[in-house]
Amino acid sequence: MMPLLQKVYDFVDERIDLKTLEAKMMKEPIKGGSRWAYVFGSVLLFIFIMQAVTGVLLMFYYIPSADHAYASTQFIIHEVDYGWFILSYHFWGSSAMVVMVFAHMSQVFLWGAYKSPREMIWLVGLALFGIVMAFGFTGYLLPWDQRAYWATTVGVEIMDKTPIVGDFMARFLKGGPTPGQMTLSRFFVIHVMVLPGALMGLAGLHLFLFRSAGPAGPFRGTPEELKAKTDFFFPRQVWKDIVAMAAVFLTISSLALIEPVVLLEEAKPDPGDYHPEPEWYFLFLFQLLRWKIFSGELGQFLGATAIPAAFMLLLAALPFIDRGPERNIFKRPIALLSWTVVMIGILVLTVSAIINREFLD
Amino acid sequence: MSHPATTISSVKLAWALSWAAFWTGFPFKMIVALLLLAAQIHPWEGAGLIALLALSVPIDIWALGLTARTFFLERMGIEVRGPVGIGLWWQGAVLGVATLGVAYYAVGATAAVCQKATAATLELVNKIIPIPVAEQITIELLMWAVPTTIVAIIFLLIGLKLFGWRIKRFAVASGQTSSAGLQERVREWDDWRVPADPILMLVSFTAVVVLLTVAFWVLLPVTTTHRHPDYPPPPTDAVKKKVKPEELLKKTDASLAKAEAVLEMLEKEKAKEKKKPVGPGK
Repeated sequence: MMPLLQKVYDFVDERIDLKTLEAKMMKEPIKGGSRWAYVFGSVLLFIFIMQAVTGVLLMFYYIPSADHAYASTQFIIHEVDYGWFILSYHFWGSSAMVVMVFAHMSQVFLWGAYKSPREMIWLVGLALFGIVMAFGFTGYLLPWDQRAYWATTVGVEIMDKTPIVGDFMARFLKGGPTPGQMTLSRFFVIHVMVLPGALMGLAGLHLFLFRSAGPAGPFRGTPEELKAKTDFFFPRQVWKDIVAMAAVFLTISSLALIEPVVLLEEAKPDPGDYHPEPEWYFLFLFQLLRWKIFSGELGQFLGATAIPAAFMLLLAALPFIDRGPERNIFKRPIALLSWTVVMIGILVLTVSAIINREFLD
Repeated sequence: MSHPATTISSVKLAWALSWAAFWTGFPFKMIVALLLLAAQIHPWEGAGLIALLALSVPIDIWALGLTARTFFLERMGIEVRGPVGIGLWWQGAVLGVATLGVAYYAVGATAAVCQKATAATLELVNKIIPIPVAEQITIELLMWAVPTTIVAIIFLLIGLKLFGWRIKRFAVASGQTSSAGLQERVREWDDWRVPADPILMLVSFTAVVVLLTVAFWVLLPVTTTHRHPDYPPPPTDAVKKKVKPEELLKKTDASLAKAEAVLEMLEKEKAKEKKKPVGPGK
C-alpha cells in the first residue's frame, strides 16, 4: 500500500510541485510555538465546511416555495432517515459559527494582532463577520414557520430604518409589501449561492493575507523563550486544530441531540400568540431597541442603525487609530476595558431579553 | 535560595493547571456524553450521570498529570516523580467538593437576598419615578447579578488559592530542579506528547474514530424523538400475527370443504321439497 501511495504522491508532485506546496502549507514557522488560542480560524473553516455539507444534504429534500417550504422541512424532520439530526446539526452549527467568530475576533483584538502589518487581515475578517451574520439572518426564514416569518419581518423592518438605502434594501429583500414567495426565493438564493461564494472568496483572501504577513505570535515572552518554542505548523498546531474541531463537532452534535429543531405553526401574516423575536445572537440589539430612549422614529434609527454602524466603523478604523506597538493586553487598559464592557453589555442585554419574554405572555 | 514552586502565585498556579487539564479531558468526556445522548440516555441524570462521572475520574487524573508535569518542567524547571495525576487529583477533588458545597449555599443565599432587596428598592423607586419594563429588567438583573457574581468569584479564588497551596506543597515534596536549559526542557516535554511511532499513532487514531463514528450512527435514532403534534408517529400494529402459508392454505381448504358440504346439503333439501306430492285441495 505504501509504495503505491508514494507512486501517486510522486505522480502528482511531478505535475504540480506538491513538495513546495506542502512545505508552504505545513512548515510555516509559528513564533513562540503552537497554541490553543490559535485554533479559532481553523475551527471556523471546519464549521463552514460542515454547514456546506449538511446544507447540501438538506437541499436534496427542501423546496424553496411558500407552499412547500414548511411541509418539506417537516418531511425532513419526520420522514427522512436521520433528517432531523442533519437539520438540527445545521441549525446549531450556525450558532456555533457566530460564537466562534466572536471568539476569533476577541482573540485577535486581545492579542493586538490587528496592528501593523496586519490591518488588511482585520478588515477582511470584519467583512467575513458580516457574512456570517447574514448567513444566520437569511437561513432563519427558510423553514417558513411562524418563528422564521416573524423574525424576518422584524429584521427587515429594522433594516428599513437605515437612511437612503434602507427602503431599497427592505423592498429588495421582501420583493413585495409583505414577506411571501419572492422573499423566500431571494433569501434562499442569497443563503445558498451568494453568501457561500462571498465567504469562500473572502476566506481565501483572509488566508492569503495571513500567510503573507505571518502570524503575530504571543504578546508575552522574551525573545529567547519565543525562539526556543518556535515551531512549524505541522504537527503540533495541526493536532491542536484537530482536537478543537473534534470538540466543536461533539458540542454541536450534543446540542442537536438535546434540543433538536421543532417547528412552530406554518407561517401566516397573523402572529397570533407568538411574540416575534430574532435569533439569539441578535437578542441584545432587540432588547436595546425596547428601551424608551430608542423609541420613536429617531430613537429607532439610532438604536437599530446609527449605533451598530458606528460600532462597526470604529472596529474597521481600529488598526489605524491604535497604532502603538504595544500588544500586551494587560498594558492596554482602554482596550481591555472596552472589550469587557462590550462583552458584559451583550451578555446582560441577551439575558434581559430572555427574562423579558415572561412579561409578554 | 527558595524553591521555584514557591515563587508563583497559588491562584495562578491552580488556574493554569485546572484550565489546561479541563480542556485536555473535555473532548474525551464529550465523546462519552455524545454516545450516551445518541443512545437516548441523559448524561445529566441517573445511569448516564453515573457512567459519565465514572469515566471522567480516570480522564481527569490523566489530564491533570499530563498538564502538571508539563507546567512544572516548562515554567518552573522542576521534574516531578511518581503518580502526579492521582496525587493532585484527590486533593483537588476534596477541596473542590468542600468549596463548591459551601459556595452553592453562599451564592444561592446572596442571590435570594439581593433579589429581594432589588425588588423592594425598585418598588420604592417606581413609586417616585416609574421605570419602563425593559429598563427595569436590566437594572434588576444587574443589581442582583453583580453582587452574586462577586461572591461566586471570591469562592472561586478561595478554591484556587487552596488548591494552589496544595500543588506547591506537592511540587516541593516530589519535584527535583532540572539542570537542563529552557530549550532542552521544551524539547523534553514536547517529546512526551509526540509519539515515537507517528504512523502507528495515526492508524490507531483513525481506527478509533471509525469505530466511534459507526457506534454513533448505530445508536442514533433514525426518526426524530421530538415529533410535532401535527405529525404523529405512523401507526404500528401492537402484535402482528405471523403468517404461516401452509397452515393458512389448510385452513382455507377446510373452510371451502365445509362450505361445499353445506351447499350440497342445502341443494339436497331443496330437491326433496320439490319432490313432495301436491295436496288434493289445490
